[in-house]
Amino acid sequence: MAEYVHPEVLVSTQWVADHANDPNVRIVESDEDVLLYEVGHIENAIKIDWQTDLQDQLIRDYIDKEKFEKLLSEKGISNDSTVVFYGDKSNWWACYAMWVFKLFGHENCLIMNGGRQKWIEEERPITKDVPNFPATDYKVSGTNDAIRAFRDDVVTHIGSGNPLIDVRSPKEFSGELLHMEAYPQEGALRGGHIPGADNVPWATAANEDGTFKSADDLQSIYMEGKGLKEGDDIIAYCRIGERSSHTWFVLTYLLGFKDVKNYDGSWTEWGNLVKAPIEK
Amino acid sequence: MLRYSLHPFLIRYMTKIEEIIEAFQEADYQETLAMLLDYSESLPKLPEKYIEQRNSGFNRVPECETPVFVWIEISDGLVHIDADVPEESPTVRGFVSLLVDSFNGATPEEVESAPLNLVHNLGLDQKLGTRRMFGLSAVYNRIKSGVKAASGIQ
Repeated sequence: MAEYVHPEVLVSTQWVADHANDPNVRIVESDEDVLLYEVGHIENAIKIDWQTDLQDQLIRDYIDKEKFEKLLSEKGISNDSTVVFYGDKSNWWACYAMWVFKLFGHENCLIMNGGRQKWIEEERPITKDVPNFPATDYKVSGTNDAIRAFRDDVVTHIGSGNPLIDVRSPKEFSGELLHMEAYPQEGALRGGHIPGADNVPWATAANEDGTFKSADDLQSIYMEGKGLKEGDDIIAYCRIGERSSHTWFVLTYLLGFKDVKNYDGSWTEWGNLVKAPIEK
Repeated sequence: MLRYSLHPFLIRYMTKIEEIIEAFQEADYQETLAMLLDYSESLPKLPEKYIEQRNSGFNRVPECETPVFVWIEISDGLVHIDADVPEESPTVRGFVSLLVDSFNGATPEEVESAPLNLVHNLGLDQKLGTRRMFGLSAVYNRIKSGVKAASGIQ
């Protein structure tokens, strides 16, 4: 039986329960639904919202280094804090928040396997109390651009025949829909996928209970199924780069690929680019 | 307390939705979340008579990713809306509860005259982020057009 390559980045709900008062640990909840944290969260969990906290409100980009330092300082996270992320939708948004933390070079990042769903299903306690940790003086020493792809990187990448994983639903991949079924069809003028991309919907890597699939299952999906092999340089994308952060996490930490980038421009950039090549 | 709005040609009472818009416009981010959470927690339970229909998937708003179910009736000339939204989706549930609270007991004309882009008027797109707002607008449009259809307004 295969093992995850970096099992240390996944922790259990019990581990989080045991560390809720550990001063070296900061628990971060990141959800699609902006109000879920207010409904109730794990004791001492901090809310970080993917959209209102991590994205720049003017330019299509993430907040800059100074704003990230200010955000983490105010939340009481220090450079040596171990940050454990969890959230709704099989940790989709938790992975997105972790990816942004990694962009700014935060060292110790963990994911609570199963996320919010598993915690609630296990009938573990939740609270509406918002923790107030002492402010820190967080410093970003450098950004980690190796995990982010821009459109020009994608052009070069497909030019050299490197693998590209499109994690959207099959109907978005085929160009029949511009967004997941039952989501409003907005955001791109053209449907289809980037030439050469392989389709592995992000949730293929998640179990019903929100946990990640086993190493054996993941290997059979991505390696035997899609031909990814050790040493591959991979780019993952979706519509705005959120679902593909889940796949970025799986490929990087659970399967151990060393060079995985998330293309956050994704289909809402590529599908609107004049003269960009598209396959259907 | 009844509030009224000043209009160049007439003085009239503010409708409930206008009062709610005013309250949201004055609210900051945390207050907005607190109000939505109150609404989410106060959505009336779905009447027994609709549970079977909901379980069979009837009356679902198709454009919204969250399973939102809405029933609209006009009785004695007044609007009555019943709705169901899972507790795990508090933002959508809060917004639907706000609509139920605003429109129940209103005349169909009041619903018809409510702002076209309510989500924007409430400031939700600015405060909660535009990428979350598409589902809310879809539910709102369904309710507005449902009231229009049920009342026979041309």
